Amino acid sequence: MNERGEDWFTTIYHTHYGQIVNYGRRRRLDGDGAAELAQEVFIVAWRRRTDVPAHSLPWLYGVARRLLANSRRAAPLPVPVPDLGHLVDPPSLDAGADVGLVEVRAALGGLSEPDQEILRLVGWEELTVSEAAVVLGCTRATAAVRLHRARRRLVAALARTRS
Amino acid sequence: MLGTHQIRTLIGAADPIDPAAPPPRLSAVDLIARAEATEPAAPIRRAPRRLVLVAGAAAVVAAGAVTVLHPFTASTGHGPGVLGPPGGGLVLVPIAYQIDQDPPAAGEHLRAMAAHLADAPSDKHTGRYAYHHVKTWGDPLMSDDGGRYVLGFAGEEERWQLADGSGRSRVTTLPPEFPDVQSRDHWLRQIPSWPSAVPHEQALPPYESSPPLPTDRAGLAALLSVRYGGGAVAKQVTTVYQEHVVPTRTRALILDILADVPGFRWRGQVTDRAGRPGVAITYEDPAHGQQSLLVFDARTGVLLAHEIVTVKPRRVSTYLLLLATDRTDN
Repeated sequence: MNERGEDWFTTIYHTHYGQIVNYGRRRRLDGDGAAELAQEVFIVAWRRRTDVPAHSLPWLYGVARRLLANSRRAAPLPVPVPDLGHLVDPPSLDAGADVGLVEVRAALGGLSEPDQEILRLVGWEELTVSEAAVVLGCTRATAAVRLHRARRRLVAALARTRS
Repeated sequence: MLGTHQIRTLIGAADPIDPAAPPPRLSAVDLIARAEATEPAAPIRRAPRRLVLVAGAAAVVAAGAVTVLHPFTASTGHGPGVLGPPGGGLVLVPIAYQIDQDPPAAGEHLRAMAAHLADAPSDKHTGRYAYHHVKTWGDPLMSDDGGRYVLGFAGEEERWQLADGSGRSRVTTLPPEFPDVQSRDHWLRQIPSWPSAVPHEQALPPYESSPPLPTDRAGLAALLSVRYGGGAVAKQVTTVYQEHVVPTRTRALILDILADVPGFRWRGQVTDRAGRPGVAITYEDPAHGQQSLLVFDARTGVLLAHEIVTVKPRRVSTYLLLLATDRTDN
């Protein structure tokens, strides 16, 4: 059996399609745009199937990130308005600290795009630092430094909103 | 300090989507066939505008504001906009153009500017740091659940960077500003007072520094994404000015390149949101219902501002002010 044949592709396609769609949706693509992004990602995966690592999800996210970046360079997104929320269910920042959803989103949205991206990868895509490094095309050490700085800036931004 | 798990707890709650994704539209076999049959993928279709635009009477209010408000309220320190009740937020008003109707093509005007540029203050300085002072608003914008009431936090960044990208920055998140009166009133009811702006300083590591600016026209045109059209070019010009201290010759080259990009229109004299006089060009993007605006200093050709305005109704979507650019040793 060909290890990188149709069966292999079908497995990763069905396993990870939804995650790639959600990656696009979280980065302000609508449903159609996110579905098209996912299709393009898996087309790339098929064409480069010999390059796809066994643990394929971070690699697929990395392809999605680059396709999205190329697309946005070609034509900037109009009016980036995410579907945002209401003032309920404050999540816990740390012991004894409550932060509203709007505050979290405002703090996150106020960070630089690289800061937002690594926080989203860890917080929303639930990747490890090593996996995020694959997506970002950097070393684990670099990703760890970026995460450290990003979360420090997030905490500072949240502290400002609460002061 | 937050750990990875705590980051997930915190950010996870702010995840803007329902994680349940629809099933694939194509089967794996069909996708393989498509991959085999096609050349490398076409660009991803752009998401349609997601801003829930003001309708009916609200639109009339917004349109009215454009025509009756003073273009710049110097005493407030804000650009075009109107302040609400005491403690209220700024409602942004699109910049007024000298040439509002039937603007001519910008090419001839841009070439004339490019031919007679004067040095900017930064051209006379030789410090080891590139200094940029930028104010932004609108990226991202946030809305309520229905997407109707929108707010965006303005922010200022001062950045001192060496050639390797290292240095320091001071970032200040400012109070929210609003694209329309209804949004301001809604959010002021929800959150009557906003935290005071507190500058946050941070060291910049020596990575992700920008490569040197191309000195040749072809290289600069490629960097400016000329082949992707005026909207992309406007954004790239802004990025270049945010990342570099652009010398006179390159500023002239940028204007000359812009002159050859189809679709830019000349809007004449304007006043930007910082109260500075300049000249403006715009690029219409009917596919996305928006207009890109670039404001230049007429004498030096330095970029002062970039804005994106929705066309119907006419509202500010994003703005960026390049408040200062220089070279310094401090």
